[in-house]
Amino acid sequence: MAFKDRLRRHRKDNRFIVGILAGLLAVLVGLFYLIQRGRDVPETLLNNQVLLFVLWYANIVLILTILFVLLRNLLKLAIERRHRILGSKFKTKLVATYIGLVLIPVLLVFVYATELIQGTVDRWINAPVGSVLAESYQVVEGLYGRLEEESREDAERALAAIQGIDLRDPSQRPELGRRLQSLLGELGADYLAVYDGTEFVHGVVDPRTGITDLPEPGRRLLTAAAAGEPVVRRLDAEGTEARLVLAGATGPPPADGGGESAEDQQPPGATVVLAGVLLDSDLVRVADDLVEAHLRHRQVVVQKEPLEASHLLLFLLVTLLILLASSWVGLYLARRVTVPIQALAEGTERVGRGELDHRVEVEADDELGVLVRSFNRMTGEIKRNRELIERSNRELVEANARLAEERALAAAVIDNVAAGVIASDRDGHILTCNGAALAMLRQSADEVVGRRAHDAWCDPERAQLAELLDPLADDGAPAGATGAFERSRLTRELHLMLEGEWKSFEVKVTPMVTPTGDLRGRVMVLEDLTQLIKAQQLAAWNEAARRIAHEIKNPLTPIRLSAERILQKYRRNDPDLGEALEAGVEILLREVEAMQAMVDEFSRYARMPRPQPQKVDLDGLIHETLRLYRGLKPGVQVASEIEPGTSELMADPEQLKRALINLLDNAIEATDAPGEVRVVAEARNGHVEIHVSDTGQGIPAEVKDKLFLPYYSTKGRGTGLGLAIVHRIVSDHRGRIRVEDNQPRGTVFTVELPMR
Amino acid sequence: MRLTRVTSLSIALAIALATAVPSRADDPQIHGLKVQLDGRRVMVDFVLTDAFDDDLVERVGSGLPTSIVYELELLRDRKRWFDRPLQRSSVQVVAMFDALAREYLVNYKLDGKLVESRMARDLDELREAMTEFDKIPAFTLEPLRRRSRLLVKVRALLGSRTLFSFIPTRVNTEWRESRKFVPPDDLMPPPSP
Repeated sequence: MAFKDRLRRHRKDNRFIVGILAGLLAVLVGLFYLIQRGRDVPETLLNNQVLLFVLWYANIVLILTILFVLLRNLLKLAIERRHRILGSKFKTKLVATYIGLVLIPVLLVFVYATELIQGTVDRWINAPVGSVLAESYQVVEGLYGRLEEESREDAERALAAIQGIDLRDPSQRPELGRRLQSLLGELGADYLAVYDGTEFVHGVVDPRTGITDLPEPGRRLLTAAAAGEPVVRRLDAEGTEARLVLAGATGPPPADGGGESAEDQQPPGATVVLAGVLLDSDLVRVADDLVEAHLRHRQVVVQKEPLEASHLLLFLLVTLLILLASSWVGLYLARRVTVPIQALAEGTERVGRGELDHRVEVEADDELGVLVRSFNRMTGEIKRNRELIERSNRELVEANARLAEERALAAAVIDNVAAGVIASDRDGHILTCNGAALAMLRQSADEVVGRRAHDAWCDPERAQLAELLDPLADDGAPAGATGAFERSRLTRELHLMLEGEWKSFEVKVTPMVTPTGDLRGRVMVLEDLTQLIKAQQLAAWNEAARRIAHEIKNPLTPIRLSAERILQKYRRNDPDLGEALEAGVEILLREVEAMQAMVDEFSRYARMPRPQPQKVDLDGLIHETLRLYRGLKPGVQVASEIEPGTSELMADPEQLKRALINLLDNAIEATDAPGEVRVVAEARNGHVEIHVSDTGQGIPAEVKDKLFLPYYSTKGRGTGLGLAIVHRIVSDHRGRIRVEDNQPRGTVFTVELPMR
Repeated sequence: MRLTRVTSLSIALAIALATAVPSRADDPQIHGLKVQLDGRRVMVDFVLTDAFDDDLVERVGSGLPTSIVYELELLRDRKRWFDRPLQRSSVQVVAMFDALAREYLVNYKLDGKLVESRMARDLDELREAMTEFDKIPAFTLEPLRRRSRLLVKVRALLGSRTLFSFIPTRVNTEWRESRKFVPPDDLMPPPSP
């Protein structure tokens, strides 16, 4: 596996590819070199059929291998294209382009080269050279034939000349020698030799030839000659480059000279005479060249078919190599583009399936490399973001669960609180309304939740609630204007006739403001004060009864004492009866008048008319009222501060003036000199606030809660109806009144009235 | 792209028919194959006919070494199955023209070793030397493990030719079988009791 991986990695390495190409080039150069050197290879090796066969088949195997690789590449490409594999079309186009560019010129060269070789070989074989060589060969053979004929004639003459000489008689050898020497000159031969059968007897050589040693004709020639066969031989002579053309003549066995013993006698054999003519060395060289050229030509003719086939194979090999190289280059270039793209496509698909750990492992150093690296970086980022999102999601789920729990808890708390809680959005749609609120308002959730406040509370009584949730109240407030929303906090005390029963509510409206300062809606909290007010009224009536009894009892004592004094004077006939009667009657009348005044006061409080609202000139009203108190108490300053915008107040001016007088009475009375009583009027969020402050002793906290109860007084005199009347007037105007400590001392009564 | 089985078989058959070379009457053939035993030696006689054609004569005459290789096989006869080869040998006859002497040198190699060399003075002598064989000591018998009959097969390899102008193929005769013969008793295992 490691080797395969290494090979796969190297396949994409440019150096490896260049190395392969260089190796291939080296092999081709080597092959060409071997072909060139083939001329120097020994003929025996070249003529070795087995070796040629092996080389031939190696060539064919190489061609088939190249063909196989080429077809395999093309087939693979076709299959990839059929299966619509990404990049296959691009590969096909590139390979087709490369092969198309190469195919036609290569085929042309192949055909032309093949024709050229065939034509050359044909011209070689069929040209006059062949016939010239053949004729030259015939000339050479004719020359040799003529020399052989001359030698044969010389041999026959020499044979005839030595007839009668016993070759086996040593004593006749000198005579033999002399005759041969004489014949050498007469015949013009260069060599003469006499054999007894195959045994050498005597030989002579023309010293002008330069032959250093007698030629050896060979036993086979001698045997044939002894057998009477015509023999010829061409021998390279020793000591010279000339060639000796031998021919023999055979005669009868030598005559028996009787000079040897019977034991030494050999069986009779034919007398053989060899004569030789020397062919000049220049002629020998020319003759050899002609013969060799003729033979080579004949060899070419014989080997025409394999020669053409071998060239055809070579050209085919080169053609296929070029085609393979072009297809391979096309595939290689296409692969360099398609492999990264394919890997990217696969990577995109796998990343799309959620395999964010997948990385594209493709070696690329161009723009595709940048793309691959960017893809891997992007996948890493996606993975990190996904982990972050999953973690955030988990936290969100936990937070949602926590919020749901808290919401359920809050809902349970809201549902179970005694106060009514109503929430609305910016547009006045009621979002929630707890059970206490529904019970207080005598409505069901369907009638309220999800509706606009004005639709849910369309009757005149409940419409007062709707007005408190009116979104128009805050429309002018800019986003983030928390102060404006804070000013929209309000508290009202409403008395509503619900299903024939008066219900009193303390209504608190609070804006819901987001952390960014935007108004989201409002929360209304209803506190049912009906029972509390009833209890307070009961307590007030008790107090009133006590005070009435007290107020009635106070004049009764002088009345009773005056009546008893008059009665005593009358029974004693006291002379002062007249005076006593007059004084007593005066006391009775005075006390009755006081009682009458008290009764009238109570009657007026009880018969307090409903306010008649109209546009009030608050500035004028306050100044007119304050004029009554200026200089009333020395050392106590009376001042006012009226802001513009308060002139749009709709109220009953008489009741408002009365309320102011009651508040100013108490303030002047409570303020010791030096001091100040100040009246401030200002407009705020559709309301007018009137502050009446003094610099007196102030009011204890435990007393503040009872101040507005009827018949409650801290002064020990008066009816205790002053502040109760003020509270009644303010409530009848749908306003409210509160008492606070003034800074640095004294008390502030604040009357808050709706503008309309 | 997948070829069906029928298509593949059709293509294979077409190739086989295209490359098959039917034998003709004038094609080279081995004749007169005879086997004689000389002790343990197997002597073979045979004649190759119709091989000494003009092409071969031209080749020899051009001075190129020209060879004919005879492959011989000694087999044990099996009636219901293929004969079992026991030994193989080859006789290579190489002829070369000596333009100076105008003779043909003929060398004989038995299993690659030179065993004989002779001169042929003309084409008839050369044809005889290259195609007619008399008592070639082709094999030496070894003791057999079972009693059986033997036979000798011979064929001649005549060089090569090209198919489709560039695929070299060997030219050879068909195998010729000798008559079956029985080896000497001393090479046979003793008969079973």
